[in-house]
Amino acid sequence: MVEINNLQFHYPKSRTILDNVSLDFTPGNIYGLFGKNGEGKSTLMKIIAGLLFPTAGNCYVLNEITSKRKVKSLKDIFIVSEDFELPSIKISTYEKINAPFYPKFSKNQFYDLIKEFKLSPDQKISTLSFGQKKKVFIAFGIATNTKLLLMDEPTNGLDIPSKSQFRKIMASAVDQGKCIIISTHQVRDLHSLINHVIILDQSKVVIDKPLSFISEHLWFGKPKHHDQDAVIYSEMTFGGKAVLYKQDKDETDIDLELLFNAVLSEPEQINNALNTAYHGARI
Amino acid sequence: MAQEFSIKRIGGFIYRDIVLLKSTIITGLSVTGGLLFIGFLFNLREDYHLTPNEFVSVFFKFYIPVGLLLCFTIFKEAHSQKTNQFYFSLPVSSYERIAAAWFTTSIIYTVVFTTFGFLVGQFAIVTGIVVSQANFHVVPIFSENYWKVVAFYFLIQPTFLLGAVTFSKNRIGKTLLSILLIVFGLVVYNFILFGVLNIGYEVFSGEKLASDAFDLTSNDFSGIGSWFWIIVLGIGILLATYYKITEKEA
Amino acid sequence: MDFDNSKPIYLQIVDFFYESILARRWPEGERIPSVREVAMMVEVNPNTAIRAFNYLQDEGVIYNKRGIGYFVSENGYKKVLDIKRKEFIELTLPDVFKKMILLDVKLEEMSNSYNQYVNDIDHENK
Repeated sequence: MVEINNLQFHYPKSRTILDNVSLDFTPGNIYGLFGKNGEGKSTLMKIIAGLLFPTAGNCYVLNEITSKRKVKSLKDIFIVSEDFELPSIKISTYEKINAPFYPKFSKNQFYDLIKEFKLSPDQKISTLSFGQKKKVFIAFGIATNTKLLLMDEPTNGLDIPSKSQFRKIMASAVDQGKCIIISTHQVRDLHSLINHVIILDQSKVVIDKPLSFISEHLWFGKPKHHDQDAVIYSEMTFGGKAVLYKQDKDETDIDLELLFNAVLSEPEQINNALNTAYHGARI
Repeated sequence: MAQEFSIKRIGGFIYRDIVLLKSTIITGLSVTGGLLFIGFLFNLREDYHLTPNEFVSVFFKFYIPVGLLLCFTIFKEAHSQKTNQFYFSLPVSSYERIAAAWFTTSIIYTVVFTTFGFLVGQFAIVTGIVVSQANFHVVPIFSENYWKVVAFYFLIQPTFLLGAVTFSKNRIGKTLLSILLIVFGLVVYNFILFGVLNIGYEVFSGEKLASDAFDLTSNDFSGIGSWFWIIVLGIGILLATYYKITEKEA
Repeated sequence: MDFDNSKPIYLQIVDFFYESILARRWPEGERIPSVREVAMMVEVNPNTAIRAFNYLQDEGVIYNKRGIGYFVSENGYKKVLDIKRKEFIELTLPDVFKKMILLDVKLEEMSNSYNQYVNDIDHENK
């Protein structure tokens, strides 16, 4: 669905923000795009949406170069940007003036989501809080039913019950024809939602793997004494969580935060563990 | 190409622009409505009659500046960091964006503002009847001067659209400055050209012979000629605006 | 659903199914929520939910009727009971024993405790 080849990006007279990035996004998945602030997450999202143009390399969405902003591809892309402002009109007016541009827009779905978010179509957007505006934006984005849905820090500004609501809604929104990319630094909010992780660091992709693949190769938790050799990265927090080579241990849940920190501090070892199949102690 | 140009989407986009600018339009019209009203009353004072030329002389003072402001307002969404991402990701092609913006700021605007001017003028006449001794008559809108004003607006309007898209800060100022520089450049160019071509005949541009010559050429040039230029120049500048939009990042 | 951090999420969903079946909330032979409904209920990616469904199908606890949905197997309750008993005896008990030895709790004390507990429960139910 999205194909990125050797992408390079820098703003005029500024340092490189994306360096030789190649990625492939396929339908039916929710991708988590992680990285520290300023590591190019938003830039990458904007390039995929055709809002920024790559300095070198190219980006295709549904086989169209996105920077050309063809209606044909824009119809199937929606971006929920982090920094946004909605016009001061009623929610229903917002739907009425923007929905006709999206051929697969579902009115029912939009108003169901608005109801689920405890908003009413007659509310004026300018009277809403930031979190509520974000909900309107997210509801609209989901209801466009574009094949590609990009969300930049979607849980920013949402309170705790709304975050849970958001996850429920996203879980129901994904289907086999749809590709969702969520960028965030709030790893915990989306932990159960994503099934593929991409981490950007120092302008490069340091990891790009399905979670099921990661849990087959890495083990997360408190290491036992005899496991010390298998430790790749550990944190001195209470209990001493660590990332280990999985070897023949049982599969564990992936602690994304721990994985993130491990990838940033030990990128080579982690990739080593992921790229070499385990031929371990059982033999 | 068929997918990139749809009348339905242009219509939708015009509707969207008008809804989004609704409150701005209402405020703008009420302010200019007041000023137009005062202007018309002023012209009614002497002879209790609004002549076609009096109408146009009041009308054009607002029609042109308000129209130019509208050109800048319509592209505001494309410049704000908070709204331009949505604006540019909306499935509307650059052709359609330009077509919609041009149609709104030229044709729709002219029809609406003329109607509005007519209504305010009529209201001024009725007021004149009530408070004074004006006779009832219908506001005379269409005159040769009216069409000249409209033609002038259509000539400069694409340039302002181009400025509204190109510059992201101090858009009006920068546009006016660029126009001024271009006009100044053309004057200098003309002057030099004139000098080069006529130096042998010892005719200088200040002399009567020269201005006679200019009058002669401009007479030939009026009518069909000026409309031809409006169309050619207009399309050229709208095309430049199109490229500016396709190049613009958010 | 609150996830604990040791088991993969799909196995935690499996546990949620086991609980529902043991508590007879989902009786044998009856239809259970769809993949999408479960994904929404526990706020997970549908792909993860599918993994749980596949796991349960392999265990013979649920089965799929094409085009209709998933159902609890006829002997689903018995199967879950066996699985959970086995898990208890093989995984939970050794931990308890380890603690008993560590804290020097005698078997007799434990059986007293157990009887007391059963009594209390009976009382509450009466």
